Amino acid sequence: MQQITIERSEPMSGKDSALKPRLKRRSTFEYVAWVVCSLIGIGILISVSTNPNFKWDVVAKYITHETIVRGLMLTIFLTFASMALGTLLGLGLAIMRGSSIKPIAATAGAYITIFRGTPVLVQLIFWFNVSALYPNLTIGIPFTDIGTAVDMNALMAPITAALVGLTLNEAAYMAEIIRGGFSSVGKGQIEAADSLGMSGAMKMRKVIIPQAMPSIIPATGNQVIGMFKGTSLVSVLGVAELLQSAQLIYARTYETIPLLIVASLWYLVMTLLLSYPQSKLEQKYSRATSRLPRKAKKVVLTDPEGIAR
Amino acid sequence: MSTDGTIHARGIRKSFGPKTVLKDINLDIASGEICCIIGPSGSGKSTVLRCINGLETVDSGVLKVNGENFGYYETDTAYHALSPKKLAEQRTKVGMVFQQFNLFPNMTAQENIMAGPVLVKGADKKESAKRAHELLASVGLSGFGDYYPAQLSGGQQQRVAIARSLAMDPEIMLFDEPTSALDPEKVGEVLMVMQDLAKKGMTMVVVTHEMGFAREVADSLIFMDDGYVVERGDAREVLRNPKEPRTQAFLEKVI
Repeated sequence: MQQITIERSEPMSGKDSALKPRLKRRSTFEYVAWVVCSLIGIGILISVSTNPNFKWDVVAKYITHETIVRGLMLTIFLTFASMALGTLLGLGLAIMRGSSIKPIAATAGAYITIFRGTPVLVQLIFWFNVSALYPNLTIGIPFTDIGTAVDMNALMAPITAALVGLTLNEAAYMAEIIRGGFSSVGKGQIEAADSLGMSGAMKMRKVIIPQAMPSIIPATGNQVIGMFKGTSLVSVLGVAELLQSAQLIYARTYETIPLLIVASLWYLVMTLLLSYPQSKLEQKYSRATSRLPRKAKKVVLTDPEGIAR
Repeated sequence: MSTDGTIHARGIRKSFGPKTVLKDINLDIASGEICCIIGPSGSGKSTVLRCINGLETVDSGVLKVNGENFGYYETDTAYHALSPKKLAEQRTKVGMVFQQFNLFPNMTAQENIMAGPVLVKGADKKESAKRAHELLASVGLSGFGDYYPAQLSGGQQQRVAIARSLAMDPEIMLFDEPTSALDPEKVGEVLMVMQDLAKKGMTMVVVTHEMGFAREVADSLIFMDDGYVVERGDAREVLRNPKEPRTQAFLEKVI
Protein backbone atom coordinates (compact mmCIF):
# COMPACT_ATOMS: atom_id res chain seq x y z
CA MET A 1 0.00 0.00 0.00
CA GLN A 2 1.24 3.41 -1.00
CA GLN A 3 1.79 5.90 1.67
CA ILE A 4 -0.09 9.09 1.14
CA THR A 5 1.63 12.17 2.34
CA ILE A 6 -0.13 15.41 2.57
CA GLU A 7 2.09 18.28 1.56
CA ARG A 8 1.73 21.44 3.42
CA SER A 9 1.00 24.27 1.08
CA GLU A 10 4.15 26.28 1.40
CA PRO A 11 4.15 29.59 -0.41
CA MET A 12 6.23 29.24 -3.55
CA SER A 13 7.52 32.78 -3.30
CA GLY A 14 7.19 35.56 -0.82
CA LYS A 15 3.51 36.11 -1.64
CA ASP A 16 0.79 34.40 0.38
CA SER A 17 -0.96 31.81 -1.79
CA ALA A 18 -4.34 33.00 -0.63
CA LEU A 19 -3.70 36.53 -1.84
CA LYS A 20 -2.30 35.81 -5.31
CA PRO A 21 -4.39 37.29 -8.11
CA ARG A 22 -6.13 34.92 -10.50
CA LEU A 23 -5.24 35.80 -14.07
CA LYS A 24 -7.45 35.42 -17.12
CA ARG A 25 -6.26 33.01 -19.76
CA ARG A 26 -5.29 34.71 -23.00
CA SER A 27 -5.22 32.47 -26.04
CA THR A 28 -2.86 32.82 -28.97
CA PHE A 29 -5.91 33.69 -31.03
CA GLU A 30 -6.49 36.73 -28.88
CA TYR A 31 -2.95 38.05 -29.50
CA VAL A 32 -3.27 37.37 -33.23
CA ALA A 33 -6.63 39.17 -33.29
CA TRP A 34 -5.10 42.23 -31.60
CA VAL A 35 -2.32 42.43 -34.17
CA VAL A 36 -4.46 41.78 -37.26
CA CYS A 37 -7.29 44.14 -36.29
CA SER A 38 -4.85 46.89 -35.30
CA LEU A 39 -3.05 46.57 -38.63
CA ILE A 40 -6.34 46.76 -40.55
CA GLY A 41 -7.39 49.79 -38.54
CA ILE A 42 -4.10 51.60 -39.05
CA GLY A 43 -4.20 50.74 -42.77
CA ILE A 44 -7.65 52.23 -43.20
CA LEU A 45 -6.72 55.34 -41.23
CA ILE A 46 -3.59 55.93 -43.32
CA SER A 47 -5.51 55.38 -46.53
CA VAL A 48 -8.34 57.69 -45.54
CA SER A 49 -6.06 60.45 -44.37
CA THR A 50 -3.60 60.33 -47.27
CA ASN A 51 -6.00 59.74 -50.17
CA PRO A 52 -6.49 63.26 -51.57
CA ASN A 53 -9.81 62.27 -53.14
CA PHE A 54 -11.45 62.40 -49.71
CA LYS A 55 -10.81 66.14 -49.77
CA TRP A 56 -10.98 66.64 -46.02
CA ASP A 57 -10.55 70.39 -46.52
CA VAL A 58 -13.86 70.38 -48.46
CA VAL A 59 -15.47 68.37 -45.66
CA ALA A 60 -14.27 70.94 -43.14
CA LYS A 61 -15.53 73.77 -45.31
CA TYR A 62 -19.05 72.38 -45.65
CA ILE A 63 -19.63 70.77 -42.27
CA THR A 64 -21.12 73.97 -40.86
CA HIS A 65 -22.24 75.39 -44.20
CA GLU A 66 -25.54 77.22 -43.99
CA THR A 67 -27.32 74.87 -46.42
CA ILE A 68 -26.14 71.81 -44.50
CA VAL A 69 -27.16 73.22 -41.10
CA ARG A 70 -30.57 74.17 -42.47
CA GLY A 71 -30.92 70.64 -43.83
CA LEU A 72 -29.94 69.23 -40.46
CA MET A 73 -32.60 71.35 -38.76
CA LEU A 74 -35.22 70.08 -41.16
CA THR A 75 -34.11 66.50 -40.52
CA ILE A 76 -34.43 67.04 -36.78
CA PHE A 77 -37.85 68.62 -37.25
CA LEU A 78 -39.05 65.76 -39.46
CA THR A 79 -37.75 63.18 -36.96
CA PHE A 80 -39.48 64.60 -33.93
CA ALA A 81 -42.66 65.72 -35.69
CA SER A 82 -43.27 62.36 -37.35
CA MET A 83 -42.28 60.48 -34.18
CA ALA A 84 -44.70 62.51 -32.06
CA LEU A 85 -47.57 62.18 -34.51
CA GLY A 86 -46.72 58.54 -35.24
CA THR A 87 -46.68 57.67 -31.53
CA LEU A 88 -50.10 59.26 -30.98
CA LEU A 89 -51.57 57.48 -33.97
CA GLY A 90 -49.79 54.28 -32.92
CA LEU A 91 -51.33 54.49 -29.45
CA GLY A 92 -54.76 54.78 -31.03
CA LEU A 93 -54.05 51.82 -33.28
CA ALA A 94 -52.74 49.73 -30.38
CA ILE A 95 -55.90 50.40 -28.38
CA MET A 96 -58.06 49.59 -31.43
CA ARG A 97 -56.07 46.41 -32.04
CA GLY A 98 -56.88 45.22 -28.53
CA SER A 99 -60.57 46.03 -28.83
CA SER A 100 -63.06 43.25 -28.26
CA ILE A 101 -65.13 44.65 -31.12
CA LYS A 102 -63.99 42.64 -34.14
CA PRO A 103 -64.25 45.22 -36.96
CA ILE A 104 -62.23 47.76 -34.98
CA ALA A 105 -59.47 45.29 -34.15
CA ALA A 106 -59.43 44.07 -37.76
CA THR A 107 -59.18 47.61 -39.13
CA ALA A 108 -56.15 48.32 -36.99
CA GLY A 109 -54.68 44.94 -37.95
CA ALA A 110 -55.12 45.68 -41.65
CA TYR A 111 -53.52 49.12 -41.27
CA ILE A 112 -50.50 47.67 -39.49
CA THR A 113 -50.12 44.88 -42.05
CA ILE A 114 -50.22 47.27 -45.00
CA PHE A 115 -47.91 49.91 -43.59
CA ARG A 116 -45.37 47.46 -42.21
CA GLY A 117 -45.53 45.27 -45.27
CA THR A 118 -44.56 47.90 -47.84
CA PRO A 119 -41.28 49.84 -48.04
CA VAL A 120 -41.26 53.35 -46.56
CA LEU A 121 -39.66 54.64 -49.74
CA VAL A 122 -42.61 53.37 -51.79
CA GLN A 123 -45.06 54.88 -49.30
CA LEU A 124 -43.33 58.26 -49.46
CA ILE A 125 -43.47 58.37 -53.25
CA PHE A 126 -47.07 57.18 -53.08
CA TRP A 127 -48.17 60.05 -50.82
CA PHE A 128 -46.26 62.50 -52.98
CA ASN A 129 -48.26 61.33 -56.00
CA VAL A 130 -51.58 60.77 -54.27
CA SER A 131 -53.13 63.63 -56.27
CA ALA A 132 -53.17 61.28 -59.23
CA LEU A 133 -55.72 59.19 -57.31
CA TYR A 134 -57.67 61.97 -55.65
CA PRO A 135 -57.11 65.26 -57.46
CA ASN A 136 -59.35 67.14 -55.05
CA LEU A 137 -59.79 66.65 -51.36
CA THR A 138 -63.27 67.75 -50.37
CA ILE A 139 -63.91 68.53 -46.76
CA GLY A 140 -67.57 68.85 -45.97
CA ILE A 141 -70.72 67.24 -44.65
CA PRO A 142 -71.73 64.17 -46.68
CA PHE A 143 -74.85 64.43 -48.85
CA THR A 144 -74.92 68.22 -48.58
CA ASP A 145 -73.37 71.01 -50.59
CA ILE A 146 -71.56 72.41 -47.60
CA GLY A 147 -67.82 72.01 -47.79
CA THR A 148 -64.68 73.13 -49.52
CA ALA A 149 -62.46 71.41 -52.02
CA VAL A 150 -58.69 71.53 -51.61
CA ASP A 151 -56.34 70.93 -54.49
CA MET A 152 -54.48 67.76 -53.50
CA ASN A 153 -51.46 68.70 -55.58
CA ALA A 154 -50.99 71.88 -53.62
CA LEU A 155 -51.68 70.17 -50.29
CA MET A 156 -49.21 67.37 -50.87
CA ALA A 157 -46.17 69.57 -51.13
CA PRO A 158 -42.98 67.57 -50.70
CA ILE A 159 -42.64 68.35 -47.03
CA THR A 160 -46.27 67.46 -46.27
CA ALA A 161 -45.92 64.22 -48.19
CA ALA A 162 -42.75 63.48 -46.23
CA LEU A 163 -44.42 64.15 -42.90
CA VAL A 164 -47.55 62.16 -43.82
CA GLY A 165 -45.54 59.23 -45.18
CA LEU A 166 -43.14 59.01 -42.24
CA THR A 167 -45.93 59.47 -39.68
CA LEU A 168 -48.25 56.84 -41.14
CA ASN A 169 -45.41 54.36 -41.43
CA GLU A 170 -44.09 55.04 -37.95
CA ALA A 171 -47.60 54.69 -36.49
CA ALA A 172 -47.72 51.06 -37.63
CA TYR A 173 -44.42 50.27 -35.90
CA MET A 174 -45.31 52.22 -32.77
CA ALA A 175 -48.67 50.44 -32.62
CA GLU A 176 -46.85 47.10 -32.42
CA ILE A 177 -44.42 48.40 -29.78
CA ILE A 178 -47.24 49.81 -27.67
CA ARG A 179 -49.32 46.67 -28.07
CA GLY A 180 -46.32 44.64 -26.94
CA GLY A 181 -46.10 46.90 -23.90
CA PHE A 182 -49.78 46.40 -23.15
CA SER A 183 -49.45 42.65 -23.29
CA SER A 184 -46.54 42.80 -20.83
CA VAL A 185 -49.01 43.97 -18.18
CA GLY A 186 -50.14 40.94 -16.21
CA LYS A 187 -53.63 39.52 -16.49
CA GLY A 188 -53.97 39.84 -12.73
CA GLN A 189 -53.62 43.60 -12.97
CA ILE A 190 -56.52 43.81 -15.37
CA GLU A 191 -58.61 41.50 -13.20
CA ALA A 192 -57.85 43.62 -10.14
CA ALA A 193 -58.95 46.74 -12.02
CA ASP A 194 -62.06 44.93 -13.23
CA SER A 195 -62.95 43.73 -9.77
CA LEU A 196 -62.83 47.34 -8.55
CA GLY A 197 -65.30 48.19 -11.31
CA MET A 198 -62.95 50.37 -13.38
CA SER A 199 -64.16 51.33 -16.84
CA GLY A 200 -62.13 50.41 -19.92
CA ALA A 201 -60.70 53.91 -20.36
CA MET A 202 -59.84 54.21 -16.68
CA LYS A 203 -58.10 50.84 -16.73
CA MET A 204 -56.08 51.93 -19.75
CA ARG A 205 -55.09 55.28 -18.25
CA LYS A 206 -54.37 54.32 -14.67
CA VAL A 207 -53.31 50.69 -14.79
CA ILE A 208 -52.22 49.50 -18.23
CA ILE A 209 -50.38 52.48 -19.74
CA PRO A 210 -48.31 53.37 -16.64
CA GLN A 211 -47.17 49.76 -16.35
CA ALA A 212 -46.53 49.34 -20.06
CA MET A 213 -44.22 52.37 -20.16
CA PRO A 214 -41.07 50.56 -19.00
CA SER A 215 -41.17 48.36 -22.07
CA ILE A 216 -42.48 51.01 -24.48
CA ILE A 217 -40.07 53.87 -23.73
CA PRO A 218 -36.73 52.19 -24.54
CA ALA A 219 -38.16 50.75 -27.76
CA THR A 220 -39.46 54.19 -28.71
CA GLY A 221 -35.98 55.62 -28.16
CA ASN A 222 -34.68 53.11 -30.68
CA GLN A 223 -37.38 54.17 -33.11
CA VAL A 224 -36.31 57.82 -32.78
CA ILE A 225 -32.76 56.89 -33.73
CA GLY A 226 -34.02 54.79 -36.62
CA MET A 227 -36.33 57.59 -37.74
CA PHE A 228 -33.47 60.07 -37.69
CA LYS A 229 -31.62 58.04 -40.29
CA GLY A 230 -34.84 57.11 -42.04
CA THR A 231 -35.62 60.73 -42.87
CA SER A 232 -32.84 60.58 -45.49
CA LEU A 233 -35.37 58.70 -47.65
CA VAL A 234 -37.47 61.82 -48.11
CA SER A 235 -34.63 63.29 -50.16
CA VAL A 236 -36.23 61.50 -53.12
CA LEU A 237 -39.19 63.87 -52.80
CA GLY A 238 -36.88 66.85 -53.09
CA VAL A 239 -37.27 67.83 -49.46
CA ALA A 240 -34.13 69.75 -48.54
CA GLU A 241 -33.25 67.76 -45.46
CA LEU A 242 -29.69 66.84 -44.56
CA LEU A 243 -28.96 64.39 -47.38
CA GLN A 244 -30.77 66.42 -50.02
CA SER A 245 -28.90 69.53 -48.90
CA ALA A 246 -25.61 67.72 -49.41
CA GLN A 247 -26.81 66.50 -52.79
CA LEU A 248 -27.80 70.01 -53.83
CA ILE A 249 -24.28 71.20 -53.13
CA TYR A 250 -22.43 68.37 -54.85
CA ALA A 251 -24.69 68.59 -57.89
CA ARG A 252 -23.16 72.02 -58.35
CA THR A 253 -19.57 71.41 -57.27
CA TYR A 254 -19.16 67.69 -58.12
CA GLU A 255 -17.56 67.12 -54.70
CA THR A 256 -19.77 64.07 -54.13
CA ILE A 257 -17.71 62.07 -51.64
CA PRO A 258 -16.74 64.94 -49.32
CA LEU A 259 -20.35 66.08 -49.07
CA LEU A 260 -21.61 62.56 -48.39
CA ILE A 261 -19.02 62.42 -45.61
CA VAL A 262 -20.37 65.72 -44.27
CA ALA A 263 -23.90 64.29 -44.17
CA SER A 264 -22.69 60.99 -42.68
CA LEU A 265 -20.75 62.77 -39.94
CA TRP A 266 -23.87 64.69 -38.94
CA TYR A 267 -25.98 61.53 -38.92
CA LEU A 268 -23.33 59.85 -36.79
CA VAL A 269 -23.05 62.74 -34.35
CA MET A 270 -26.81 63.00 -33.93
CA THR A 271 -27.21 59.25 -33.53
CA LEU A 272 -24.54 59.21 -30.83
CA LEU A 273 -26.17 62.18 -29.09
CA LEU A 274 -29.51 60.37 -29.13
CA SER A 275 -27.99 57.09 -27.96
CA TYR A 276 -26.95 58.57 -24.64
CA PRO A 277 -30.43 59.49 -23.37
CA GLN A 278 -31.67 56.27 -24.94
CA SER A 279 -29.30 54.13 -22.88
CA LYS A 280 -30.17 56.15 -19.76
CA LEU A 281 -33.86 55.52 -20.40
CA GLU A 282 -33.18 51.84 -20.92
CA GLN A 283 -31.37 51.64 -17.59
CA LYS A 284 -34.09 53.55 -15.82
CA TYR A 285 -36.85 51.34 -17.11
CA SER A 286 -35.01 48.04 -17.14
CA ARG A 287 -37.08 45.27 -15.63
CA ALA A 288 -34.42 44.16 -13.22
CA THR A 289 -34.13 47.39 -11.27
CA SER A 290 -37.74 48.33 -10.78
CA ARG A 291 -41.06 48.78 -12.42
CA LEU A 292 -41.75 51.99 -10.64
CA PRO A 293 -42.42 54.83 -13.04
CA ARG A 294 -41.80 57.44 -10.39
CA LYS A 295 -38.99 57.77 -7.96
CA ALA A 296 -40.08 55.97 -4.85
CA LYS A 297 -39.29 57.52 -1.52
CA LYS A 298 -36.43 55.95 0.29
CA VAL A 299 -37.93 53.96 3.07
CA VAL A 300 -36.71 52.31 6.20
CA LEU A 301 -38.55 49.12 6.96
CA THR A 302 -39.85 48.87 10.47
CA ASP A 303 -42.00 46.30 12.15
CA PRO A 304 -45.68 46.70 11.42
CA GLU A 305 -47.46 48.32 14.30
CA GLY A 306 -49.44 45.56 15.91
CA ILE A 307 -51.61 43.52 13.62
CA ALA A 308 -55.30 44.23 13.96
CA ARG A 309 -57.01 42.08 16.45
CA MET B 1 -81.31 47.91 -5.68
CA SER B 2 -80.86 45.20 -3.19
CA THR B 3 -77.57 44.89 -1.35
CA ASP B 4 -78.16 42.07 1.06
CA GLY B 5 -74.87 40.18 0.88
CA THR B 6 -76.30 36.87 -0.24
CA ILE B 7 -75.17 34.54 -2.99
CA HIS B 8 -77.51 32.12 -4.65
CA ALA B 9 -76.56 29.69 -7.40
CA ARG B 10 -78.61 26.99 -9.13
CA GLY B 11 -77.28 24.59 -11.74
CA ILE B 12 -74.28 26.69 -12.76
CA ARG B 13 -72.37 25.33 -15.73
CA LYS B 14 -69.17 26.72 -17.15
CA SER B 15 -66.86 25.40 -19.86
CA PHE B 16 -63.51 26.57 -21.12
CA GLY B 17 -63.50 25.25 -24.67
CA PRO B 18 -64.05 21.51 -24.53
CA LYS B 19 -63.35 21.34 -20.80
CA THR B 20 -66.35 21.65 -18.50
CA VAL B 21 -65.07 23.14 -15.28
CA LEU B 22 -68.33 23.67 -13.42
CA LYS B 23 -70.92 20.96 -14.02
CA ASP B 24 -73.78 21.63 -11.67
CA ILE B 25 -73.07 24.09 -8.92
CA ASN B 26 -75.75 24.83 -6.36
CA LEU B 27 -75.04 26.99 -3.37
CA ASP B 28 -76.68 29.42 -1.03
CA ILE B 29 -74.67 31.74 1.11
CA ALA B 30 -76.50 33.86 3.63
CA SER B 31 -75.72 37.42 4.59
CA GLY B 32 -72.79 37.54 7.01
CA GLU B 33 -71.92 33.89 6.42
CA ILE B 34 -68.30 32.85 6.28
CA CYS B 35 -68.01 30.08 3.73
CA CYS B 36 -64.83 28.21 2.92
CA ILE B 37 -64.49 26.32 -0.34
CA ILE B 38 -61.97 23.51 -0.33
CA GLY B 39 -61.06 20.85 -2.82
CA PRO B 40 -58.23 19.57 -5.01
CA SER B 41 -56.67 21.71 -7.76
CA GLY B 42 -58.79 21.81 -10.88
CA SER B 43 -61.98 21.11 -8.97
CA GLY B 44 -63.40 24.46 -10.12
CA LYS B 45 -63.35 26.25 -6.77
CA SER B 46 -61.53 29.30 -8.07
CA THR B 47 -63.81 29.43 -11.10
CA VAL B 48 -66.88 29.57 -8.84
CA LEU B 49 -65.36 32.56 -7.09
CA ARG B 50 -64.45 34.26 -10.34
CA CYS B 51 -68.00 33.82 -11.61
CA ILE B 52 -69.40 35.48 -8.50
CA ASN B 53 -67.21 38.50 -9.25
CA GLY B 54 -67.88 38.49 -12.99
CA LEU B 55 -64.28 37.76 -13.97
CA GLU B 56 -65.81 34.77 -15.76
CA THR B 57 -69.32 34.49 -17.13
CA VAL B 58 -71.38 31.38 -16.46
CA ASP B 59 -72.72 29.41 -19.42
CA SER B 60 -76.04 28.50 -17.85
CA GLY B 61 -77.83 28.38 -14.55
CA VAL B 62 -79.03 30.97 -12.08
CA LEU B 63 -76.52 33.21 -10.34
CA LYS B 64 -77.82 35.84 -7.98
CA VAL B 65 -75.42 37.99 -6.03
CA ASN B 66 -76.75 40.48 -3.51
CA GLY B 67 -80.20 39.31 -4.52
CA GLU B 68 -79.92 40.29 -8.19
CA ASN B 69 -78.95 38.46 -11.34
CA PHE B 70 -75.24 38.98 -11.76
CA GLY B 71 -73.98 40.47 -15.01
CA TYR B 72 -77.30 39.88 -16.79
CA TYR B 73 -80.90 41.00 -16.67
CA GLU B 74 -83.62 38.43 -17.09
CA THR B 75 -86.50 38.56 -19.55
CA ASP B 76 -89.15 35.93 -20.31
CA THR B 77 -86.91 34.25 -22.85
CA ALA B 78 -83.30 34.91 -22.00
CA TYR B 79 -80.60 36.53 -19.90
CA HIS B 80 -79.23 39.68 -21.53
CA ALA B 81 -75.73 40.89 -20.70
CA LEU B 82 -75.68 44.12 -18.71
CA SER B 83 -73.91 47.23 -19.96
CA PRO B 84 -70.29 47.52 -18.77
CA LYS B 85 -71.37 50.37 -16.52
CA LYS B 86 -74.06 48.32 -14.78
CA LEU B 87 -71.74 45.34 -14.46
CA ALA B 88 -69.05 47.56 -12.93
CA GLU B 89 -71.61 48.85 -10.46
CA GLN B 90 -72.49 45.31 -9.40
CA ARG B 91 -68.82 44.46 -9.09
CA THR B 92 -68.11 47.31 -6.73
CA LYS B 93 -70.33 45.50 -4.21
CA VAL B 94 -68.21 42.36 -4.42
CA GLY B 95 -64.61 42.65 -3.29
CA MET B 96 -62.02 40.22 -4.57
CA VAL B 97 -58.69 39.30 -3.04
CA PHE B 98 -56.32 37.43 -5.33
CA GLN B 99 -53.71 34.79 -4.68
CA GLN B 100 -51.06 36.99 -6.31
CA PHE B 101 -52.29 40.18 -4.53
CA ASN B 102 -52.41 42.10 -7.84
CA LEU B 103 -51.70 45.44 -6.26
CA PHE B 104 -51.02 48.14 -8.84
CA PRO B 105 -47.22 48.44 -8.76
CA ASN B 106 -47.32 51.97 -10.12
CA MET B 107 -49.26 53.24 -7.10
CA THR B 108 -48.34 53.48 -3.43
CA ALA B 109 -50.27 51.44 -0.86
CA GLN B 110 -52.46 54.44 -0.14
CA GLU B 111 -53.06 55.17 -3.82
CA ASN B 112 -53.98 51.53 -4.33
CA ILE B 113 -56.58 51.78 -1.61
CA MET B 114 -57.86 55.11 -2.92
CA ALA B 115 -58.02 53.91 -6.53
CA GLY B 116 -61.48 52.36 -6.23
CA PRO B 117 -63.28 55.13 -4.33
CA VAL B 118 -61.63 58.03 -6.18
CA LEU B 119 -61.38 56.70 -9.73
CA VAL B 120 -64.53 54.59 -9.84
CA LYS B 121 -66.92 56.14 -7.38
CA GLY B 122 -65.62 59.69 -7.78
CA ALA B 123 -65.18 60.10 -4.03
CA ASP B 124 -63.51 63.13 -2.50
CA LYS B 125 -59.72 62.73 -2.40
CA LYS B 126 -59.23 64.03 1.11
CA GLU B 127 -62.01 61.87 2.54
CA SER B 128 -60.63 58.83 0.70
CA ALA B 129 -57.12 59.48 1.98
CA LYS B 130 -58.46 59.62 5.52
CA ARG B 131 -60.38 56.40 4.93
CA ALA B 132 -57.26 54.80 3.46
CA HIS B 133 -55.36 55.64 6.64
CA GLU B 134 -58.07 54.01 8.74
CA LEU B 135 -58.12 50.94 6.53
CA LEU B 136 -54.34 50.63 6.64
CA ALA B 137 -54.53 50.82 10.42
CA SER B 138 -57.23 48.16 10.47
CA VAL B 139 -54.96 45.74 8.61
CA GLY B 140 -52.03 46.60 10.87
CA LEU B 141 -50.14 48.73 8.39
CA SER B 142 -50.33 52.27 9.80
CA GLY B 143 -47.58 54.38 8.29
CA PHE B 144 -47.12 52.18 5.26
CA GLY B 145 -49.23 54.40 2.98
CA ASP B 146 -46.32 55.81 1.01
CA TYR B 147 -44.73 52.43 0.30
CA TYR B 148 -44.88 50.93 -3.15
CA PRO B 149 -45.98 47.30 -3.38
CA ALA B 150 -42.44 46.27 -4.36
CA GLN B 151 -41.23 47.59 -1.00
CA LEU B 152 -43.68 45.47 0.98
CA SER B 153 -43.50 41.81 1.93
CA GLY B 154 -46.04 39.39 0.50
CA GLY B 155 -48.07 39.39 3.69
CA GLN B 156 -48.11 43.17 3.80
CA GLN B 157 -49.09 43.38 0.13
CA GLN B 158 -51.97 41.00 0.68
CA ARG B 159 -53.19 43.05 3.63
CA VAL B 160 -53.07 46.19 1.47
CA ALA B 161 -55.01 44.27 -1.18
CA ILE B 162 -57.67 43.41 1.39
CA ALA B 163 -57.83 47.07 2.44
CA ARG B 164 -58.16 48.06 -1.23
CA SER B 165 -61.18 45.80 -1.63
CA LEU B 166 -62.71 47.02 1.63
CA ALA B 167 -62.38 50.63 0.50
CA MET B 168 -65.22 50.00 -1.96
CA ASP B 169 -67.52 49.08 0.93
CA PRO B 170 -68.51 45.74 -0.59
CA GLU B 171 -71.30 43.56 0.76
CA ILE B 172 -69.38 40.41 -0.08
CA MET B 173 -65.67 39.65 0.04
CA LEU B 174 -64.19 36.88 -2.07
CA PHE B 175 -60.77 35.44 -1.28
CA ASP B 176 -59.05 33.31 -3.90
CA GLU B 177 -56.39 31.33 -2.03
CA PRO B 178 -55.22 34.50 -0.28
CA THR B 179 -52.35 32.84 1.58
CA SER B 180 -51.11 30.36 -1.01
CA ALA B 181 -48.42 32.67 -2.39
CA LEU B 182 -47.10 33.66 1.02
CA ASP B 183 -44.17 32.58 3.12
CA PRO B 184 -45.45 30.20 5.80
CA GLU B 185 -44.34 32.85 8.30
CA LYS B 186 -46.60 35.52 6.78
CA VAL B 187 -49.76 33.42 6.51
CA GLY B 188 -50.82 34.18 10.07
CA GLU B 189 -50.91 37.97 9.68
CA VAL B 190 -53.24 37.74 6.68
CA LEU B 191 -55.51 35.17 8.30
CA MET B 192 -55.74 37.37 11.35
CA VAL B 193 -56.97 40.30 9.27
CA MET B 194 -59.53 38.00 7.65
CA GLN B 195 -60.67 36.70 11.01
CA ASP B 196 -61.10 40.27 12.17
CA LEU B 197 -63.22 40.97 9.11
CA ALA B 198 -65.35 37.88 9.73
CA LYS B 199 -66.26 39.20 13.17
CA LYS B 200 -67.64 42.38 11.58
CA GLY B 201 -70.39 40.42 9.82
CA MET B 202 -69.12 40.65 6.25
CA THR B 203 -70.24 37.88 3.89
CA MET B 204 -67.05 36.05 2.99
CA VAL B 205 -66.31 33.27 0.54
CA VAL B 206 -62.82 31.91 0.94
CA VAL B 207 -61.15 29.42 -1.34
CA THR B 208 -58.37 28.07 0.81
CA HIS B 209 -56.11 25.22 1.79
CA GLU B 210 -55.89 26.52 5.36
CA MET B 211 -57.96 23.92 7.20
CA GLY B 212 -57.17 25.62 10.49
CA PHE B 213 -58.82 28.82 9.29
CA ALA B 214 -61.80 26.86 7.99
CA ARG B 215 -62.23 25.14 11.35
CA GLU B 216 -61.87 28.24 13.48
CA VAL B 217 -63.53 30.96 11.44
CA ALA B 218 -65.85 29.46 8.83
CA ASP B 219 -69.57 28.91 9.37
CA SER B 220 -70.01 26.61 6.42
CA LEU B 221 -67.72 24.52 4.31
CA ILE B 222 -68.08 23.44 0.70
CA PHE B 223 -66.02 20.57 -0.66
CA MET B 224 -65.74 20.63 -4.45
CA ASP B 225 -64.40 18.03 -6.80
CA ASP B 226 -64.46 17.77 -10.57
CA GLY B 227 -66.92 20.61 -11.10
CA TYR B 228 -69.45 19.49 -8.50
CA VAL B 229 -70.21 20.47 -4.94
CA VAL B 230 -69.60 17.10 -3.30
CA GLU B 231 -70.44 18.05 0.23
CA ARG B 232 -71.51 21.09 2.14
CA GLY B 233 -72.46 21.77 5.69
CA ASP B 234 -71.36 23.20 8.98
CA ALA B 235 -67.60 23.75 8.73
CA ARG B 236 -66.56 21.96 11.93
CA GLU B 237 -69.03 19.15 11.31
CA VAL B 238 -67.77 18.46 7.78
CA LEU B 239 -64.15 18.60 8.90
CA ARG B 240 -64.79 16.25 11.82
CA ASN B 241 -67.25 13.82 10.21
CA PRO B 242 -67.17 14.03 6.42
CA LYS B 243 -70.06 12.02 5.00
CA GLU B 244 -68.94 11.53 1.42
CA PRO B 245 -66.07 9.10 0.77
CA ARG B 246 -64.43 11.61 -1.60
CA THR B 247 -64.38 14.26 1.12
CA GLN B 248 -63.00 11.73 3.60
CA ALA B 249 -60.20 10.77 1.21
CA PHE B 250 -59.30 14.43 0.59
CA LEU B 251 -59.36 15.46 4.23
CA GLU B 252 -57.28 12.47 5.25
CA LYS B 253 -54.52 13.67 2.95
CA VAL B 254 -54.53 17.35 3.87
CA ILE B 255 -54.99 17.26 7.62
